[in-house]
Amino acid sequence: MADNIDMANLPQAAVVPPKRTRISVVWIIPILAAVVAIGIAIQRVMTEGPTITIVFAAAEGIEAGKTFVKYKDVNIGQVTAVQLAENYTKVEVTAKIDKSAAGLMVEDAKFWVVEPRITLGGVSGLGTLLSGNYIGFEAGKSAEGQRRFTGLDVQPTITDQPGRKFVLKAHDLGSLGIGAPIYYRRLLVGQVTAHKLAADGKSVEIKVFVNAPYDKYVNPETRFWNASGLDVSLGADGLDVRTESLLALLAGGLAFDMPSFLPPDEPAAENTAFQLYPDRATAMKQPDAIARRYVLYFTESVRGLEVGAPVTLFGFPVGEVTEVGLTVDPATLVFGPRVNITFFLERVIEQLPSEEKAAAETMAEQSAEARLQVVRRAVEEEGLRAQLRSGNLLTGELYVAFEYFPKAPKPKIDWSRDPLELPVVPGGVADIESKLDNILTKIDNMPIDAIGTDLRKAFATLAETLKDAAQLVKRVDVDTVPELRTTLIELRRMMTTADRVLKDADATLLGKDAPAQQELRDALQEVTRAARSVRVLTDELERHPEALIRGKTEE
Amino acid sequence: MTAATLTAAQEGLVSCETCSLLSRPASAAEPGFCRRCGARLEFRRHASIQYTWALVIAAAICYIPANALPVLTTNTLGSSESDTIIGGVVFLYTSGSWPLALIVLIASVMIPLGKLVALAYLLITVQRGSAESTRERTRLYRMVEFIGRWSMLDVFVDTFTVALVQLQPLMSVEPGPGVLFFAAVVVLTMLAAESFDPRLIWDSGHRKRPRHG
Repeated sequence: MADNIDMANLPQAAVVPPKRTRISVVWIIPILAAVVAIGIAIQRVMTEGPTITIVFAAAEGIEAGKTFVKYKDVNIGQVTAVQLAENYTKVEVTAKIDKSAAGLMVEDAKFWVVEPRITLGGVSGLGTLLSGNYIGFEAGKSAEGQRRFTGLDVQPTITDQPGRKFVLKAHDLGSLGIGAPIYYRRLLVGQVTAHKLAADGKSVEIKVFVNAPYDKYVNPETRFWNASGLDVSLGADGLDVRTESLLALLAGGLAFDMPSFLPPDEPAAENTAFQLYPDRATAMKQPDAIARRYVLYFTESVRGLEVGAPVTLFGFPVGEVTEVGLTVDPATLVFGPRVNITFFLERVIEQLPSEEKAAAETMAEQSAEARLQVVRRAVEEEGLRAQLRSGNLLTGELYVAFEYFPKAPKPKIDWSRDPLELPVVPGGVADIESKLDNILTKIDNMPIDAIGTDLRKAFATLAETLKDAAQLVKRVDVDTVPELRTTLIELRRMMTTADRVLKDADATLLGKDAPAQQELRDALQEVTRAARSVRVLTDELERHPEALIRGKTEE
Repeated sequence: MTAATLTAAQEGLVSCETCSLLSRPASAAEPGFCRRCGARLEFRRHASIQYTWALVIAAAICYIPANALPVLTTNTLGSSESDTIIGGVVFLYTSGSWPLALIVLIASVMIPLGKLVALAYLLITVQRGSAESTRERTRLYRMVEFIGRWSMLDVFVDTFTVALVQLQPLMSVEPGPGVLFFAAVVVLTMLAAESFDPRLIWDSGHRKRPRHG
């Protein structure tokens, strides 16, 4: 410190104690970092959507952090966790939904796993082959928010296209699958969206969706029928083959239409329930309101007569066989076939011309007693009888035909029974059978042996006759033929002569220089000349008639 | 006090930080410049503790988003996947390559965190004037300073991957916001380590004394 310079006299510099360290600008850095970090955190919290839980039966292809929730092919969320739940029977998928889609998470929103589906009806979800399965979403209409959902097992085929849903009740599902097409006049207008067994297990409820604008053709009276596959029916009416389209043939399908006899109606409301008929014919049948039941006791076998076989009146279908069974007479223990039928008066009336309909309808509206009287008169006086007939000789189908048989014996009928018994006449097949039987009996009785002997004799005679004929022919050959030949030679000669004569005649008469012609020409010239002279003469005489007396005057 | 605790500052001397030449300061307030190398002389780095604290806190703040936000977003044919550092570690571990997982865990999670903790520890002990284990603390400081330059490994790999894997539309990799924060953590801890004056470790025990006289 001390140097050779005397420094003692120098004033000691004041020692200012170091100022309390002031806040340095470097603190801007952590403040900045904090601001940025807090900003990001706030942004995160603000954009944070709800976390929802979806319960699925199985989580095929769902992975935490990889599977998205998509609505209209837009990501609206991501699966954050997949875990087992509910006694290990279900899978609980936790997904974080974007804030923008938070409002969509309502009570009736639907979730399902989208995976590639290849059906005959089409291919869908192909995008998932590359991107992996994702969770599909369909917005609901409810305003009630929800955070826990139950995922659908199958993808709902319809999302929010315009159109209407209907419910069909069917006896069984047939070959219908989800997505099965619905046809209206062979146009593809909708599809099957779901099906389930009815609560009582006795029918199947099929949910269908008909796209707008075709949904307006579905009226309360519309008939739906199963157009699945190839409908081949071989009944007493003949062979009937029908299919809606090749797709329907393979994948099944439905069709609907309005029965032609009904007037157009208002479109049906959403979720209207319809009956699904097994085929078009059944669907289009007019509902038969007034079914009359009768019973027929045939005397012949009813093999080939099936339930549903037609009952005809003069060939027009007017009813159906409802039951085929047996009956027994308790007194004699004699068995016999019993056929219950229904008879629809409407179908008879339908066939009448309009002016006659009114009368028939008033008759139909009469009391049961009056109607019975009509039937009784028809049976007792006109001879209305039922007869079994063969509808199809190949399959042996039978049907019941009603016709008037005026010569039929008067039947004994208990008119008070219900169902009323109607008299029958043996016929149709039985008739043919008995006739065949007769023929066979006759054939049986024929003296085949005697006929054989006779035939043999006849053949012997025939052989002799033939031999004679052969001899005759031979004789003709030997005797007649040479003569015939000479005759023919003569004839030819004659013909040659005739030919020559004719040629001569030709030359004489018709040839250009034939003398006859020459002469004829000369003669004609002469005649012409003579005629001219006569004309000169007559002219002269006209002018000078006196010349006849005095002679020609000299001029 | 042992000889080891005798510091140049106590003796009113200042050593050059660049060439280590011990010299007498020009004045207590303004030590001047090194005669040998011309570097500016300082008894102790200016506001070292405050600077270091600020940077350590900033790094600690950045450390949170660096781990919470994704560092890589991989787009593979329609599906995109974002990974955080920890997510990557978990993925590596579950896919069987635990050594790689360990490396990533150490290099990307533990080292930055360790650096922050170490710096905080050094700062606290210096502020409390602890005279304990000064040698170990100096060694710790040297380690922190040494490791600092290797901490950018993650950022380096990340940028490399992003630059290389651009197979549009099959696959592409994009950097996530986390990588920015991660880089900030690394840079801030390096700066913090730099701003910390290790000589302060040896000043402990002499706090009450005037720094020069």
